[in-house]
Amino acid sequence: MTCHALALRVPASADPGPVLDAAVRGWWPELPDRWPVLWHDEVPARFAEHRLRAELHRPVTEGGPAFRAVLLRYEDGGAHLVLVAHHALLTPGVLQDIAHVLLGHRPATEVTVPLGCDKPPKGPHRPRIDWATGEEGAGDRTGVVTVPVPAGAPAAALVLARYEHRDPGDGLPAYATVLDEVGPVDPTFSHRLPFQSAPFPLTLVPRGTTVELHHQLRHIDEASARAFARHLTHVHAQLGHRPLAEIELIPHEEAERLLPPPAGIPRPAVPSRIDTAFDARADRHPDAPALTHDGTTTTYGALRERAERLAAGLRAAGVRPGDRVGVRLERGADLVATMLAVLKAGAAYVPMDPAHPEERLDRTARDADVRLVVRDTAPYLGAARTDRPRNRTPRDLTPKDPAYVIHTSGSTGRPKGVVVPHANVLALLDATREDFALTAADTWTFFHSAAFDFSVWEIWGALLTGARLVVVDHWVARSPEDFHALLVRESVTVLSQTPSAFGQLRAVDRGAKEGLSVRLVVLGGEALDTRPLLGWFDRHPEDRCRLVNMYGITETTVHVTAATVTRREALAASRSVGRPLPGWSVSARDERGRPLPTGAAGEIWVGGAGVALGYLGRPELTAERFVNDPYGPGRWYRSGDLGRLRADGSLEHLGRIDSQVKVRGYRIEPDEIRAVLLEDPVVTAAAVVLSGDAFEDAAGVRIDAYVVADGDTGDVRRRAARLLPDHMLPTTVTRVPVLPLTPNGKLDRDRLPAPEKPVSVPAPTGDLVTALTGVWEEILGVPVGPDDNFFELGGNSLYAIRVGTALRERGLPALSMRLLYTHPTVQALSLAMADE
Amino acid sequence: MSPGGPRLSGKVALVTGAARGIGRATAVAFAREGADLMLVDIAADLPGVPYPLGSESQLAHTAELCRETGAAVRTARVDVRDLAAVETAVKETTARFGRLDVLVNNAGIAAPSGRAAHEIEEHEWQLMLDVDLSGAWRTIRAAGALMTARGAGSIINIASTAGLVGYRHFAGYVAAKHGLIGLTKAVALDYAPRRVRVNAICPGSVRDDPRVEGRMLAEIARALDVPVAEHEQTFVQAQPMNALVEPDDVATAALWLASDESRQVTGTVLTVDGGFSAR
Repeated sequence: MTCHALALRVPASADPGPVLDAAVRGWWPELPDRWPVLWHDEVPARFAEHRLRAELHRPVTEGGPAFRAVLLRYEDGGAHLVLVAHHALLTPGVLQDIAHVLLGHRPATEVTVPLGCDKPPKGPHRPRIDWATGEEGAGDRTGVVTVPVPAGAPAAALVLARYEHRDPGDGLPAYATVLDEVGPVDPTFSHRLPFQSAPFPLTLVPRGTTVELHHQLRHIDEASARAFARHLTHVHAQLGHRPLAEIELIPHEEAERLLPPPAGIPRPAVPSRIDTAFDARADRHPDAPALTHDGTTTTYGALRERAERLAAGLRAAGVRPGDRVGVRLERGADLVATMLAVLKAGAAYVPMDPAHPEERLDRTARDADVRLVVRDTAPYLGAARTDRPRNRTPRDLTPKDPAYVIHTSGSTGRPKGVVVPHANVLALLDATREDFALTAADTWTFFHSAAFDFSVWEIWGALLTGARLVVVDHWVARSPEDFHALLVRESVTVLSQTPSAFGQLRAVDRGAKEGLSVRLVVLGGEALDTRPLLGWFDRHPEDRCRLVNMYGITETTVHVTAATVTRREALAASRSVGRPLPGWSVSARDERGRPLPTGAAGEIWVGGAGVALGYLGRPELTAERFVNDPYGPGRWYRSGDLGRLRADGSLEHLGRIDSQVKVRGYRIEPDEIRAVLLEDPVVTAAAVVLSGDAFEDAAGVRIDAYVVADGDTGDVRRRAARLLPDHMLPTTVTRVPVLPLTPNGKLDRDRLPAPEKPVSVPAPTGDLVTALTGVWEEILGVPVGPDDNFFELGGNSLYAIRVGTALRERGLPALSMRLLYTHPTVQALSLAMADE
Repeated sequence: MSPGGPRLSGKVALVTGAARGIGRATAVAFAREGADLMLVDIAADLPGVPYPLGSESQLAHTAELCRETGAAVRTARVDVRDLAAVETAVKETTARFGRLDVLVNNAGIAAPSGRAAHEIEEHEWQLMLDVDLSGAWRTIRAAGALMTARGAGSIINIASTAGLVGYRHFAGYVAAKHGLIGLTKAVALDYAPRRVRVNAICPGSVRDDPRVEGRMLAEIARALDVPVAEHEQTFVQAQPMNALVEPDDVATAALWLASDESRQVTGTVLTVDGGFSAR
């Protein structure tokens, strides 16, 4: 039985008693006469929270009140209103509405965390069950840390909620959970728990005067578990004394220690500009190949010469230092020469992809307030011929000048121009040159739109290390076959790709006869699913081709962290995006900017050498996102991404904070759904689309999945149902031959087909009870009552699988193993299955 | 590690087909118990085998997992159909480690299969026997003199329940595995006076554990053209212990045969099949 709970802090000044009673009768007329306030006494806060915990596990019976309300009054005159409801009837959203009405439409001052209450199986049978998959035998090694925290469930739930960066109303995450009070240790068992290994990466078991932390060593090491235990006692000490919002996870002193160490920046001896660094290369090796396009190669010397003529032309056309110049050219030698020319003229370039719609380009030009837009180089070359220059970069230009303005389409709709100075790009190369062994012997591709900052990495990564840049035409970039042929033909060694585009390239590479010369693949621009990379490693062993996943943000100069991905990470389906680049720093912060401990999820803040100057012409937005550290020195960019730091200093990227959507009151993580789909062996690529409007009609929101798969989509959905909670299970799974990509190589949602028909139809509950009872009796060989526990009757995971098979044979809905373990009686299971 | 210290302390083992599956599980189990290792795999696909074989990357990963336990490890790409390559690998082992105590003949293929005996092409028949039966003989050919000369050693042939009973539409595989058991018994007699022990392990249906990247069960299912889940279910029901065998179950059996704990055991066939062959 799953419940939802909501606790609202009522200010001391307001006495909600009469209001509450009257409001309830008016709003919820069918409630029974006896208003179900459970107790109304003044109780010490801790005791109340403990009682509340117990209350949550008492099922709200059918025919009884739809919800229970508890009013907890404290010595200071304040109170908590606690609502507990059976979720099939009342979602957390509805509970909030009820509370709103109960409190006379006064805004609640505070909403506290809910307490999850999925029950693990009880009884003598403790199958080794992996709770994430429902599989038997996947027992991970676990560690246990015990801390003395009397009645520790509320504190544990609170710490977990903070760690997971969850809003109230979401329920506790699948990543960790707090079990019901288990009671004292039974000496006849080595551990009196309903499982042999912790069912979740972190499982908290309150037990009288202590809380046990069971942690799967694969996910959480002992140091992190001990840190969690420290924070648990710290929070527990504050409970009842401070408002929840002010409760700290960690003491202020520890927070300061958590700040990343000052980044060891391998600054160049003399800070440089992009154009001067390029010129230095051209001076030393004027005849070295710089750029190849359509079989024609331009040398460094020739490229510089062309850039200088263009720079003179731009100056003649009125471009002055500090200006911005739109560059609206196809990928090619002219585009790169023009970018260089703009920099040489002391201006910043504003890339405008000719493939983008006219209106968007106009808006970009207006927003950037460009002096002029270069659509063709001929006019500027013409002007230069009359006035043959050997111009050098003027002396008053510095590495702190803006080099480019790239527009990112934020979630708010209107694109923002990110202003990035020369020094940041140089710092990016200083941070990677040695580790990636970038040399003049390399050949890079120029694959991405100039308006996508991945191309900043491609262009200047190649040209400032003396390497050769191979231009990938618009149409070649859209044909994985042609692109693969180009990689072979040009002996490309450094390849930068989005994971989506790389997935298509891998598919071609699998069937290709010619070998690649690629020695470094840089993946960026999207979250990476590592599991599908196993096939790539089979063809390209790690000692011959290194694969690096980089997490990046335009506002922090292309990249932030780098993680070398090996077979090990791919097998572990790692979510780590690696450690920050030398010179960059990363911190996880809560909503007040307080540093969070290792393992706690919060907003990713990025500091150091890559932080951009700000948004062009948007001072308020710049002040909001580019902030000074309230806890230490330095300027940081608040990314709006959710992440957590691991003990080894690497970052786990958990998606966008603002893209999280609620469906039927539950928070949905599309990335998590996608990751589960990709775990299916027949699925090679997957996308998840949320449709409908959560604000207009919460029930109308649906999740549609698209997969590139070698098998039946019904099976894919059934397997996903073993891993995903019902609210995250896609309504439809549609097979597509290939995922469509945007010009930037990211998933193009608009070009996905309409979803297929939903896969399964639930049967009525009454039939389910009969059917389930029949199946259980047949498999267990004993009579089964509606409240008999499957495991106490002798059921085990193998029988559970047989139950699933038998149900399928009778045309009944698919049964997830997880559901059976959380609802081990016929009564509870049938209700839960009817919800699905 | 057992209370008495590592069970293979000071021993050197050569494992074929070590890139993944039972080979990987065995290599890691041996490394954990103190053995140094020569790990070989074809690390390439074989024309005629309808599924990908182990890769270099997988072999390197097995080696990495072994090195984490402190073992010294060498790897080599070896096709067990190539006697010269097998001999080179054995020579490299003794050159690097100075000895060879344990030989695990694990390399094997499950397909081409899925047809009645008269529908198998001759080259398919030859391929199956060449890898699954003659491959084991070649490593024995290359290492036998060395081991008997030292008067100690353990040779472990990874056979199959297909070496004990027939399976429909797997004539080549069943014949090769029956042959492997015959080879085991004959060589056990050859080498018994020299205290080199030769034993076979017959695993039942082994789960395709993603940690060792096993895929045998999936490939057998594919050869029979049935869904993997259904195939697994069939075998779970056929094995009285109601479970598939784990790669680690086979590895620990091999560990015992490799260690001196089994010093009086030779010419035996150790089934690890959840009771499958008991009925």
